[in-house]
Amino acid sequence: MIDVRQAASRRLRTWAARRFGTDVLPHAIVRRRIYILPSGFGLALAALIVAMLVAALNYNNNLSLAFAFLMTSIALVAMHHCHRNLLGLVVDAETDADGFAGSSAAVAFTLTNVSGLDRYDVQIRCAADAITTANVAAISRRAVAVRVPLAARGVRRLAQFELATRYPFGWFRAWTYVQAVVTIHAAPHPEGGQQESGANRPSDGTLSGEQPGDEDWAGLRPYAPGMPLKHMVWKVLARGGEAAVRTYSSPASDPQWLDWYALPALAEEARLSQLCRWVLDADRAGRTYGLRLPAVSVDPASGPVHRRACLRALAAHGAGAAS
Amino acid sequence: MSPRLPWSRPSSVRASSLRPYSDRPSRDGLFWTSGCFVLALMPHLGDMPPWVLIFCGITVAVRLGLAAGDRQGPPALLRTLIALAAIALLFAQFRTFNGITAGTALLGLVAGLKMLETRTRRDVCVMILLVYFLSLDALLVGSSFWLLAYLVGVCWFTTATLLRLTAAETGPPWPASLRYARRILLQAIPLAAILWLFFPRLTEPLWRLTESDQGAAAGLGDTLSTGDLADLALSDDIAFRVHFFGAVPPTEQRYWRGPVLDQFDGRVWRRAEPDTTATPGFRTEGPVYRYRISLEPYPHAWIFTLDWPTEWDMAHAQLTADGMLLGPGPVSQGLDMIASSQTRRRDPEPLAEKARRRETALEPATANPRTLALAESLRREHPDQRGFVTSVLEMIHRENFFYTLAPPPLESKDPIDEFLFDTKRGFCGHYASAFAVLMRAAGVPARIVTGYYGGTFNRYADYWILRQSDAHAWVEIWIEGQGWQRIDPTSAIDPRRVDRSLRDEQAAISIANVDLRSALPWFAALRLRADALRELWRERILRYNQDSQQSLLASLHVPNPDAQKLVFALGAALAAALGWLTWQVRRELQPPPRDALRRAYEQLCAKLAGLGLPRAVHEGAETYAARIAGRRPELAQAVGDLCRRYNDLRYGRPASPADVATFARRVRSFRPRDSRAS
Repeated sequence: MIDVRQAASRRLRTWAARRFGTDVLPHAIVRRRIYILPSGFGLALAALIVAMLVAALNYNNNLSLAFAFLMTSIALVAMHHCHRNLLGLVVDAETDADGFAGSSAAVAFTLTNVSGLDRYDVQIRCAADAITTANVAAISRRAVAVRVPLAARGVRRLAQFELATRYPFGWFRAWTYVQAVVTIHAAPHPEGGQQESGANRPSDGTLSGEQPGDEDWAGLRPYAPGMPLKHMVWKVLARGGEAAVRTYSSPASDPQWLDWYALPALAEEARLSQLCRWVLDADRAGRTYGLRLPAVSVDPASGPVHRRACLRALAAHGAGAAS
Repeated sequence: MSPRLPWSRPSSVRASSLRPYSDRPSRDGLFWTSGCFVLALMPHLGDMPPWVLIFCGITVAVRLGLAAGDRQGPPALLRTLIALAAIALLFAQFRTFNGITAGTALLGLVAGLKMLETRTRRDVCVMILLVYFLSLDALLVGSSFWLLAYLVGVCWFTTATLLRLTAAETGPPWPASLRYARRILLQAIPLAAILWLFFPRLTEPLWRLTESDQGAAAGLGDTLSTGDLADLALSDDIAFRVHFFGAVPPTEQRYWRGPVLDQFDGRVWRRAEPDTTATPGFRTEGPVYRYRISLEPYPHAWIFTLDWPTEWDMAHAQLTADGMLLGPGPVSQGLDMIASSQTRRRDPEPLAEKARRRETALEPATANPRTLALAESLRREHPDQRGFVTSVLEMIHRENFFYTLAPPPLESKDPIDEFLFDTKRGFCGHYASAFAVLMRAAGVPARIVTGYYGGTFNRYADYWILRQSDAHAWVEIWIEGQGWQRIDPTSAIDPRRVDRSLRDEQAAISIANVDLRSALPWFAALRLRADALRELWRERILRYNQDSQQSLLASLHVPNPDAQKLVFALGAALAAALGWLTWQVRRELQPPPRDALRRAYEQLCAKLAGLGLPRAVHEGAETYAARIAGRRPELAQAVGDLCRRYNDLRYGRPASPADVATFARRVRSFRPRDSRAS
C-alpha cells in the first residue's frame, strides 16, 4: 500500500516536472497545479459520513439526514478551503545553501501571502526528511528555513520541492510541486588535528615565526563588505566616523595557502576534512588565506564571502567538471 | 533528461513527520474535546441508560484529572478490562446492540472508553468523529427544531475544536477558530440544504432494526376499565391533527374511531383477537369527508379514522370486521394518511349467530347482579328494542347521574352495580361501560368503541388538534334492520349535572395549571400559534418524502417528475452550489479593498482639483494645505483641518474604523465654492 502510494507519487512528480518545466522564482502557486486528496483522517470521516447517511436513510429520518448532509457539506467546504490555503501563495527560495557533511544545510525560502487571509500550516518539503511547517499571516512575508540533512560531502541539486497543507481539519492534503533548482553545497565535515605548520607554508615560503593575531597594527583602511568584522574599529564608527578596519603589518596579513598537496599522508576525504578545518580556523582567526585543490584554487582573501567560496570549492571537489 | 529528484531513492523514512497528529494532545485540546463530548451527550440524557452517562462522566473526569497531572491514561490492560466489563453489562441489559436505544448506548460507551485512552492527537481526532456521530444519533430519537439548532451549535463548537487540534503549528486563536468554523458552517449550510431537498429518499428501509417504542407517548390502550381514561383526560399531549379538505363534519359527528372492545369480564373491557379474515360487510352513506390525519407516535397498530372509514391511502392498512383500521405495525414513528369517511352506516346482512353470541356475552354471569336485574325489568317494560334503548338513556338523563373526572373509586367486585346504584358519578368510561352491560344483559348486541371526540380548531393553520384529553368511549349496539349504530350514553347526562369544576380542581392538583393556562385567552392563542409552527415543521421538514420531492420538481416546472429527474435536478443544483462555493472561497482570497481613509483623502483631493488646485504628486498633505491656504485663504481653515486630520489618522496611532468613517463624512460634507464661477 505504502509502496503503491510512493510509486504513484513518484510518477506524479516526474510527470509534473516534465509537464511544467522549470519555474521562475518567485513562483505564485496556480490553481491547476494544486493536487488534493483525502488523508487517512479524511477517509475515516468519509466512512463516518457513509454510516451517518445509512442510519438516516434507513430510519427515514429527515433531521438526521440533514445533519449527515451538513457533515458532507462541511467536508466539501473544507476541501475547497484546503485547496485555497495554497492558492496564490508566492514562494521564493535562495538558489544555494551551504552546510557540512554530517550536519544540515538550511535552505532559505520566503513565503509571501498577498491575500487577505491568514494561511496556516504550509509545509515545505525538500526531501522526505527535510520538512518545515509555517504559518503566513495575511499580507505578509515569512522566511522559512528548511533544514536538509547532509549525509555526505558533495554538491546536491534539488530540482523540485513540494508545498503541502492539511489545513483545515487535516481531512485533505493539498500539495503542489515547484520546479526550481536549489544547489546544496555540502562541505566536508571539518576535522583533523594537523597543524598548518612549516610543511604547508605557501610555496614561496619566505616567512617564518609568524604568529596569528599579531597586534602589530599598521593603520586603518576603509571597510568594504567581506572584511572580517572582528577588525572593525567600532569606536570610530560610534563617533560617527567612517567604517574602518585595522590592518596589520604583521606576517599574519601575508597570504597563507591551505594546500591539498601538503597532506599527502591522508586519504582523500580526510584531506578535505582537514582542509575544511583549516579554512574554518583561518577564517575565525581573521587571517588571509588561499585554498589550493587539484582542480581549482581560490586566491587568498578573507571574510565570509571568501570562506564560502573555499567551502564550496571543497564541496565540489571531485565532482567532475564542476567549475 | 529529467532532473534528478531528491526523493527518487527509496526512503526508509516513511513520511511520519508529515502527520500533524502523531504527538500527545495538549491539555487544552483534551479539555475542549471533553467539552464537545459532554455537549453531545446532553440530548441523550433521556435515552441512554443512566449508568452509561455516569460512566462517560467518570471517564471524562479521570482523563482530565490525569491530564492535569500531566500523565497519560490508565494502562492498556486495565482499559481492556474496563471495556469488556462495560460492554458485557450493556449486552446484559439490552440483549442486543441493534436498534436505536442499544446502539446509542453502545456509542456512548465506546466514546467514553475512547476518552479514557486518548494518548495521541490522533485519538482525540477519533473522539471528535464520535462526537459528530453522537450528535446525529440524538436526531434519530428527538425531532424538534430546537434540538436540531442545538446540535448545529454543537457541530460548530466541535468543528472549531477540531481546527485547533489539527493545526500543526499554532493554529488560529480561539475566537478566530470559532469565527472560521462559523464561516465554514455558513458555506456548508446551503450545500446541505440542496442535498437534503433533492437527495432521493428510500420508500422502504434498507433493513428493519428492532423498532423502539420509546418515542410513543401514552394514549388509548386496548383495554378499558371504568376508571381508565381519567388520567388521559388531564393530559395535554397531542394525539393527532386533522386537516379537512373541504367540508368539516359537525361536532356531533366528529367521533374518531380507535380500538373496539367487545370482551367483558365484569370489570374490564378487552379487545378480542382482531378477525382480519372476515370482510366488513357494511355500507356507508351520507356526505363524504376527506381529510389528512397526522398521528403522533404511539405503540399500537390501529389508526384513528372518522366514523366510518371508506378510503385510505395506506396500502398495508386493513379494515377489520368491527370497523377499525389496522396498520402493518405500531405507529412508533408517527404517520400521515389521507382518508375519506362517511358518517352513516347500514348493515344489509343480519348479524351472524356467532357474532351475536360474542357481542351479548356477559362472563361471569354472577357479576353485577343488580345491573342485570335492572336490564331485565326495563326490557320487560319495553319489549321493542328502540324503546328499551331510549328508556336507558332517559334514565341516565333523568336520574341523579353526574359527569365528573374525579369520581369516587369503584372498589367492590361489582363495579357497574356500584356505579349505577351507589356513586352515580363518572365520566365516559363509566357510562359507556354501564350502558353496554345493560344492553348485553337485555340481549342487545353491544360493544365499546374508544377513540377521540371533537377537537380544537387551530385557526392559524386550518387544522384540528385532538389531544389526549379528547379521549372518549362510546357504545355501538346492533339495531335489527339497521346494523351497528353509535350511541353515546355520556351525552345523555343532563348538562346541568356535568361538573367541570372538579376537573379544574383535580387538574390544579395533578399537573401544573393546564386549565389556568387555557383560561387566559391570549395564552391559548399563543399555544395555537406555537402548535401551528410545530405542525408546519412536522409537515414540511419531518414528513418531507418522495411525494414532497415530486411536488418540488413540479413547482420547478419539471414535466413528469420522477426519481431519475430528481437525480438530474440534484446534479444541477449541486453543480451550481459548488460553483458558488468555489467563487465564494476564491473571493475571500482577494486582498482587502483599498482602505477607506485613502479613498476619503483622494475624494478630498479630487474636490480641490475641481477648483483648479490639483495636488502635485510630491506634495504631502500639510504642504498641499499650505499651498491651498496661500491661493484660497477662505478655504485655509477647512482644508488645513482636514489635511491635519488625515495625517493624524494615517501616521499617528492606529485609526479606528469609526474615526475613519467620521473623516470620510467630513470630506463628503466639504463643499468648496468655485471662485472662478462667481
